[in-house]
Amino acid sequence: MSGGTALVIDGLEVEFGRFRAVDRLSLAIDYGEVRALIGPNGAGKSTVLNVVAGVTPAKAGRIVLDDTDLTGLSEAQIARKGVRRKFQKPSVFEVLTVRENIELGLAIPAAKAPPGRIEDVLAMVNLGDLADRLAGTLAHGQKQWLEIGMVLASDPKILMLDEPVAGLTDEERQRTAALIRALRRPDRAIVVVEHDMGFVEEIADKVTVMHEGRTLFEGPMSRVRQDARVVEVYLGR
Amino acid sequence: MKTLFADRSFAALIALCAVAAIVIALSGGTSMLSPYMVNAIGQLATFAILAVSLDLIWGYLGILSLGHGLFFAIGGYVAAMHLLKHSYEITGIVPDFMQFMGWQEFPLYWAGLSNAPYALLLALGVTAFVAFVFGYVSFRSKVGGVYFAIISQALVYVAMLLMFRNDTGFGGNNGMTGFSLVFGWPAGQPGTLVGMAVVSIIVLIAVLIGCRLLVTSRTGRMMVAARDDEVRLRSLGYGTLWLKLAIWCLSAVIAAIAGILYVPQVGIINPRVLSPELSLEIAVWVAVGGRGYLTGAVIGALAVNALKFWLSAAAPEVWPFILSGLVVLIVLVFPNGLLDLAGLKWKPRLLASLGGAK
Amino acid sequence: MFMIRPLILGWLFAMAFAAGASAQDLGRADLVARLCGNAAATGDAGSRILAGAGQPDAAELPWMETVISALLDRRLKCAADPAQSVVEGDGAVRSAVTLEPASVPDLSKVPVLNLRSRAILELAQSALRLRIGATPTIRRQALAALGRKAASVPVEVFEQAAAGESDAGLKAEIESTAQISALNSPDISKRISAVERLASTPNRRVQTQIAALQADPAYTSDETFRLTVDAALARVGQGILIGDVLSTLYNGLSFASILFMAAIGLSVIFGLMGVINLAQGELIMIGAYVTWLTQEALKSIAPGIADYYLLIAVVPAFLVTAGIGVLLEAAILRHLYKRPLMSLLATWAISLFLINLVRVTFGTQNLQFLTPFYITGGVPVVGDFIVTWNRLFAIAFAAITLALTWLVVNRTGLGLNIRAVTQNRDMAGCIGIPTRKIDMMAFGLGSGLAGLAGLSLSPIYNVNPQMGGNFIIDSFMVVVLGGVGTIGGTLVAALGVGQINVLIEPLWGAVAAKVIVLFLIIAFLQWRPEGLFTAKGRRR
Repeated sequence: MSGGTALVIDGLEVEFGRFRAVDRLSLAIDYGEVRALIGPNGAGKSTVLNVVAGVTPAKAGRIVLDDTDLTGLSEAQIARKGVRRKFQKPSVFEVLTVRENIELGLAIPAAKAPPGRIEDVLAMVNLGDLADRLAGTLAHGQKQWLEIGMVLASDPKILMLDEPVAGLTDEERQRTAALIRALRRPDRAIVVVEHDMGFVEEIADKVTVMHEGRTLFEGPMSRVRQDARVVEVYLGR
Repeated sequence: MKTLFADRSFAALIALCAVAAIVIALSGGTSMLSPYMVNAIGQLATFAILAVSLDLIWGYLGILSLGHGLFFAIGGYVAAMHLLKHSYEITGIVPDFMQFMGWQEFPLYWAGLSNAPYALLLALGVTAFVAFVFGYVSFRSKVGGVYFAIISQALVYVAMLLMFRNDTGFGGNNGMTGFSLVFGWPAGQPGTLVGMAVVSIIVLIAVLIGCRLLVTSRTGRMMVAARDDEVRLRSLGYGTLWLKLAIWCLSAVIAAIAGILYVPQVGIINPRVLSPELSLEIAVWVAVGGRGYLTGAVIGALAVNALKFWLSAAAPEVWPFILSGLVVLIVLVFPNGLLDLAGLKWKPRLLASLGGAK
Repeated sequence: MFMIRPLILGWLFAMAFAAGASAQDLGRADLVARLCGNAAATGDAGSRILAGAGQPDAAELPWMETVISALLDRRLKCAADPAQSVVEGDGAVRSAVTLEPASVPDLSKVPVLNLRSRAILELAQSALRLRIGATPTIRRQALAALGRKAASVPVEVFEQAAAGESDAGLKAEIESTAQISALNSPDISKRISAVERLASTPNRRVQTQIAALQADPAYTSDETFRLTVDAALARVGQGILIGDVLSTLYNGLSFASILFMAAIGLSVIFGLMGVINLAQGELIMIGAYVTWLTQEALKSIAPGIADYYLLIAVVPAFLVTAGIGVLLEAAILRHLYKRPLMSLLATWAISLFLINLVRVTFGTQNLQFLTPFYITGGVPVVGDFIVTWNRLFAIAFAAITLALTWLVVNRTGLGLNIRAVTQNRDMAGCIGIPTRKIDMMAFGLGSGLAGLAGLSLSPIYNVNPQMGGNFIIDSFMVVVLGGVGTIGGTLVAALGVGQINVLIEPLWGAVAAKVIVLFLIIAFLQWRPEGLFTAKGRRR
């Protein structure tokens, strides 16, 4: 499973009414890599995640995970294929406890999960002490981690994180970066949508810059800042 | 059993119901407890069951049905058909509506209804079927929230229009009444009233315990999760369609059971139980008692109906004004219903769950 | 006035020439004798008078009318000598022959009429009145009486009456009735041309009359006649079909107008705040009550312009309901806009309150509305399709409302703000749009539109405290179908629901129409859950 291509996005088109949010976008994400999806507001980054997760239907194009075509499957079916996604706005179930949230993230009854799995995940996201607190009572940063824990619990092949450090303090940001680095595994691909370039530099192996629904640049982080078109899009206007 | 009665107010409610059932069984119909009171308590128990059925989907799943009277009515109508057919076979009394229409024979779909188990099966089966079809087409296309509420209201309204027609074989405008026998017992006799009331309370207890077990289970946590963030839940790999559909059908069936128990006690059913107003009132009971809290639904149903029984007799003109004022008060000032009013210290978890309910 | 002069002239003329001056083959005395005779003789006299009513010279007609009316009212007292017979009436006794004052003879009798002769005499009386009736109303009544038996009235009666008629509308009606009379003219070419002319205004009455000719001997004997009748029947049948289709569409359109008016306010509010206002039907009801109050106020203050209450009430109906809407928004709904299901309960409570408030104040009976001249009657177009003014009023009213609402939403600052808040409340707030104020004004606008709906439906539907419930479910369906907050969607959905309702109603009844509309909408939502005209946007 390790190495090789995990997720292929092929000729994706998405329209909202007359507005074309994603325009013939093609991407290939490999196992073992952390891929950052960056670009200005409205570039279509979140839309791509929504389409992969099955929330937004595509007008044209295909999404393939390993050899399985995900196009047209429901959100739940896609999730069960091993795709998990963290939303931009932290969305945890506030009236359930932290432990129950993680348990829901397993997607199978806790009794059938590997023993100690919930505790492992709780420890991984640093919420072991708060396991019986109601999720609604957590601080913003803790909610972000809980949500990462929820999407992590089922050991997904594809992990999509939409702005995981938005609204976090510097210290929380550092811990989140460390967490994501720790999550990198040969049999997992991680996609991060983020505005914070410093954060992206810390975690990403490879960067895809989107602009107006298309790929503007793709390559290692080190070369992004030298790319003339990227500079123009980010700074030139 | 430990989690079941961990909540003290729930345990207290069950105990209260049990005591009520025993008291009625022992002294109902005597000078201590008039048959009228017994009958009123029995009817209130069926309203409480109805309220619990709505709370299950509104309070725990966030789906407001403004058409729950439909399922109540299906249960009630089938029960009435059974009673009339059975009475006819024993006593030979031809139902009023058939005399009115000049019919000599029962319509075809009345066949076999004198058999109580078949009638029960039919009532629950038809209810589940209607709920399934309506729920499936709605939830499949992700119709929810206000849309669902409005369409369910239209459904009950259309059903009312249909039932007002005299040629449907369901009694039409006047409905069905004049049951001489209630499951083999003479109608209106104190013994029969006591029996029906006790059965209703026992069913209420059973429904409460069943629902309590459900909402504290893993399925219950999924229901709350679906209520608060359905997209999140789906993205974790749960198909919410069948969850919602199953709970929706269960809720409908419980409402139908309430209808089955209600009709023999009031002795009549007519299309007015299908009026959108009644279905809205069920939502008011639940809102008054507090959504997402089974005890609240029961208390709400009892409180509003007790007030209604009393005011309809004392000052019928004032009742609608009181009711509308009550609703506005609850909605604006006490969004969690009587729970706010009582200022009781429930477990923080419950309060949070109520605050999160839409 | 204009008919009085000939009347007087005629009377003078009659005076001058007395009995013998009549153009008829019988003198006055002779006629009176026959009218006083047995039933057969009376009927015969009636037929003669009916025939005579078509003579160009109107001089003798007033006398005939006087005598015949007297006979029918049992005011003709007959003596053995016709000259002795008298006519009573207006407090005077006059000679039946000369109409000079006279006295009642000693031996007088009132002639007995049988059914047949009475029918003939009444027909003759109507024919006379059509020609010399003093007012258009009298002549119109006479025409209506003749129209029922036009085939047995000589066509000349109508021709002469039309020639002397000064009221253009009445003249046209006389001419059309004349065609029916001409159908039975002894002249076959006249009959054929009458059939053809009749067929040019197809309706069910004409169809019955022409179809009756298939039993006429001429139908079998004269081929041209038969072909003409068959062709005419085909043409009339087609005309009636077109008329029926148009009439269904027209009724659907007027129902759709009401639905649109009821739903547009609902739709604006729903789009903006996610609130379904269950009290919208009651705001419609209040609008109708304000219209009625305006009418009553005008009746007592300015009876001269009371007929214009429908136009004058536009302002109060809008302002009162908009005011109620603003009040409700500010007092209740503003606190609920993130809890749409609770706002559903709250607005239901408001509707319950309003219904009972009106019930206690005004009672439960239907209100009585004046029917002003500008919504009375209509114009027949083709077949039995009549463009009735009251429905046209509702349609025109809805069209104007549509145009104004569109202008407000798309061409004013308020509209721009409403659209901005509808699309992205948070962002609109960030750029300084006072979202709370916009909510309030939009709620006022939506409520005011409901009030106008109440005004426009008051001439067509019953107005009572419960009326709101009749429209509200249909309007919800329109909003659900049309999608949130779009004027175009609401319009198309209203037209669709309105037309489907009137199409199904005659086939399977009103209840089936409602059932089918509901199921169509549920089926439709399978295909487009967001309604017809909603652009999809970002979810989060």
